[in-house]
Amino acid sequence: MDIKIPDSWLREYLSTKATPSKIAEALSLSGPSVEKIEKVGGDSVYHIEITTNRIDAVSVYGIAREAAAILPRFKIPAKFKRLTKPSKNYNFVPKVSYLSAEVDQALCPRFAAVLIKNVSVGPSPDFIKDRLEKAGVRAINSVVDISNYIMLGLGQPVHTFDYDKIMGAKMVLRQSKNGEKITTLDGKSFTLPGGDIVIEDGKGRLIDLAGVMGGNLSMVTESTKNVLLFVQTYNPAFIRKTSMSLAQRTLASTIFEKGIDPELVADAILAGVELFENVCKATSESEILNIHPKPYKAREISLNYDEITKKLGVEIPKSEISGILSSLEFETSWTGGKLGVIPPSFRNGDVLIPEDVIEEVARIYGYYKLPSKLMDGELPDYPQDRRFEFEEKLKNILAGFGGCEIYTLSLVSKDYVVDGALKLKNPLGSDSEYLRTSLMPSMVSAAKENVSQESFHLFEVSNSYIPRAGDLSEEKLTLAGIFKGYGYRDAKGILEAFFLRLHVENEFRAEDMGGFAASKSAAVFSKGRKIGKIGITEEGYIYYEFGVEEIYKLADREITYKEISKYPSQVEDITFNFPDKTRMGDVCRFISSLDDSIGSVDYVGSYANAHTINVKFHSDKKTLTDADVEVIRKRLISSVKTKFGGMVKG
Amino acid sequence: MQEEILNLKNQAMAQIMSVNDASELEEIRIDLLGRNGKLTNLVKKIKEVDPEERAQVGNTLNEAKRTIETLLAQQKNNLKESAREWFDPTIPGILPKVGHLHPVTQAIREITNVFTGIGFRRVRYPEVEWDYFAFESLNMPEGHPARDEWETFFVDVPENKKYGKVVLTPHTSNGQVREMLRLKNPPIRMINIAKCYRRQSDVSHVPMFHQFEGLVIDKNISIVNLKGTLDYFARSFFGENRKTRLRPFHFQFTEPSFEIDISCGFCGGAGCRLCKAGWLELGGAGIVHPNVLKAGKIDPKIYSGFAFGWGVERSFMMKSGLSIPDVRLIYSTDLRFLSQF
Repeated sequence: MDIKIPDSWLREYLSTKATPSKIAEALSLSGPSVEKIEKVGGDSVYHIEITTNRIDAVSVYGIAREAAAILPRFKIPAKFKRLTKPSKNYNFVPKVSYLSAEVDQALCPRFAAVLIKNVSVGPSPDFIKDRLEKAGVRAINSVVDISNYIMLGLGQPVHTFDYDKIMGAKMVLRQSKNGEKITTLDGKSFTLPGGDIVIEDGKGRLIDLAGVMGGNLSMVTESTKNVLLFVQTYNPAFIRKTSMSLAQRTLASTIFEKGIDPELVADAILAGVELFENVCKATSESEILNIHPKPYKAREISLNYDEITKKLGVEIPKSEISGILSSLEFETSWTGGKLGVIPPSFRNGDVLIPEDVIEEVARIYGYYKLPSKLMDGELPDYPQDRRFEFEEKLKNILAGFGGCEIYTLSLVSKDYVVDGALKLKNPLGSDSEYLRTSLMPSMVSAAKENVSQESFHLFEVSNSYIPRAGDLSEEKLTLAGIFKGYGYRDAKGILEAFFLRLHVENEFRAEDMGGFAASKSAAVFSKGRKIGKIGITEEGYIYYEFGVEEIYKLADREITYKEISKYPSQVEDITFNFPDKTRMGDVCRFISSLDDSIGSVDYVGSYANAHTINVKFHSDKKTLTDADVEVIRKRLISSVKTKFGGMVKG
Repeated sequence: MQEEILNLKNQAMAQIMSVNDASELEEIRIDLLGRNGKLTNLVKKIKEVDPEERAQVGNTLNEAKRTIETLLAQQKNNLKESAREWFDPTIPGILPKVGHLHPVTQAIREITNVFTGIGFRRVRYPEVEWDYFAFESLNMPEGHPARDEWETFFVDVPENKKYGKVVLTPHTSNGQVREMLRLKNPPIRMINIAKCYRRQSDVSHVPMFHQFEGLVIDKNISIVNLKGTLDYFARSFFGENRKTRLRPFHFQFTEPSFEIDISCGFCGGAGCRLCKAGWLELGGAGIVHPNVLKAGKIDPKIYSGFAFGWGVERSFMMKSGLSIPDVRLIYSTDLRFLSQF
């Protein structure tokens, strides 16, 4: 979460000559990150990012405490100015006359409240208004402003009730029941799911959605006379659950859900009392209700000097380690190589294990001071997975033949998937609600988007997601492509050349595959297995799709060398007249398989029903004589006639 | 024969010097050096020479041949433009179809090369992932506020008793525990590059993007090694003069955790409008949390490790200095955009 802190306010708790930009730099390098400094009037406002573990720093006071520990490491003197004791004496007591409270300890580890009488509600003094507004909070009236001022200043959310609206001067802090209703200060009404922390008054009315927002039944208004100042810590999990499920995210709930220091409650309530007396000319009860049966107990973490050195990568003297930790208000004690560390109460929630202590030492010592060196030690002895290289090779080949690679979104609309496809619970929109089961619709829509281009070949290598009951989906890596403005022979030729480069045998068999125009598609086989498909879509594009794993397994990575033949070949074009609807792929494949002395068969072209085929006669054992060739040619011609009805022309 | 050679040479030189026409020069060349040329024929006759003189004659022949060839070439070049054979080397070529690899593919290749060069092994783990690997095993139990940082998509399928809900992985960190469980024993040097998904779409966010995640686990792995690795990456990928720095940050699955900055390539670190006082944010990193090692069945008392990760697209844009007003454009399928790479 991001907070804004005016420099002028920060210096109430921090005494230093450091400039705002220096403070920002030092904090960013060793503590919470200052994202920017904004100039407002003559003041500088720090925009600071507070990570979830450092909720102790979510306030002006907390940042001042950090800065006072960090700045001296940059050779800039700085001192943390702690809160002063209030001028009057107050007693923290478990029972008071003005309020009876029943508190579920599991929900609220510390419950404090005090009655403040004869409050005059009006505009706040300028310094409060100024600080709040620079910190990004609108000033409303003195009572609301004091609450916000304490929250931003000290990091402790507080709430104020109109005391006279708490029926029976009684509070019961408990879990809500399913279906209970509450209207909060902002006028929104909620039907509670149950398990939310709520406060009920003496008449059984819900007057607070605790830790999230106050209820409107007990709201302070301009006419409020007596205020109950209310300062608590809550079980973070409950606050989070309520604020998430009701989508009621407030600064208070964001702070409470991180778990804050119960010790802060006392500081906050005393600061509040003081402000009410000064700003609102009010009088506070001197007895403060304080239900806190399990007070904070310090906890020691122990770690070895070696552990610190090992994780940091450098040796820091023990005395410097203790110095760093005590600047952060940690207590330390060395027993030989063992370090005992007691974190202060405000770090009790995030410094739990030795690694947490090491982080504190390292960041204050300065990450920037650590050397930089690659690791030594053994290298992994297992090989690289060659699939990645293979994938790159596929892409390179296709791009080399003029293909343009695209990446399309894996999330598609319902129209683009088959039944049973994986569906998102919380999609961004209906156009991206499902995980795609094929790349085809995405490719067709990419082709359509390029309507102004006359000719192109787009391809993509991405997953399709095939659901599996009771398990994660199968992520099937797929190569898909689409052509526009290419003849079918040109497009198919690119795929044949692609397979040639990969040394993958391939056979295109006419077969009706889904998604294509009737009769205009083929299944592609290699070594008897189906590896993909090609065809012409209804829109007239040529689309193809192959399983990458299938090709990977077939690709001949060890190429066998074949001796270059010593004997010459005889090459000739033979033209046949074929009946209608003869498949030329089948004819060529048939001819190649006829005789060992037929070296290669290439389709040349056609005119009407006349198709020319280029045949190379060749033997690895001898030079074929004209007579040898004549025998094979005769057989070829008669076989083609018998099998396909093709008649030699001329 | 010696004399015959010298005569022929002198005669040829005089002839060549007097010619101003390319075709005449070619005739002379054929007359002397062609298959049946005068000089060629002399070479053929060398066998008939007395063996004692043969070497001498051979030298003379070679020298004569070389002189004539040089002179022919010189004379050809001395000819006026008009007398030369016309050729236009500037004529526009006929281009084949030019293909393009997507910028993400190009960036992934470069990133892979950098890390495999220092012993990392590339892997890929599921995009549709168990909550356990995406969050729970990374020290982020259900309901933890740290989870908010990842705007996660949930898949509408029944929960698994052991692994929880099914999500679209919002980061490549899901590979950390998977890699530990797969390899069992360090040393581990993993680079996991994969698609990730987050529920956000605006000028600086795409719901689908790519991340790469480095994970190193061994004995005695320290912050110093993390810095070494990041600096090595910065210098290899972005350029020799680039540096990185670490700042404190928080991730549940690393302790300590860092944010990585890289020195700005435009101002060289002096500070400019593109950077923050000379630095640009690059990504996140940290020392692997002992709970994560435990989830991967690796003993944190013996081993330590570091991890880092961030976006491929971001790296590509930062490297090329591309100023793309809307990152979603990277996933456009418009050829007018893609053919620029």
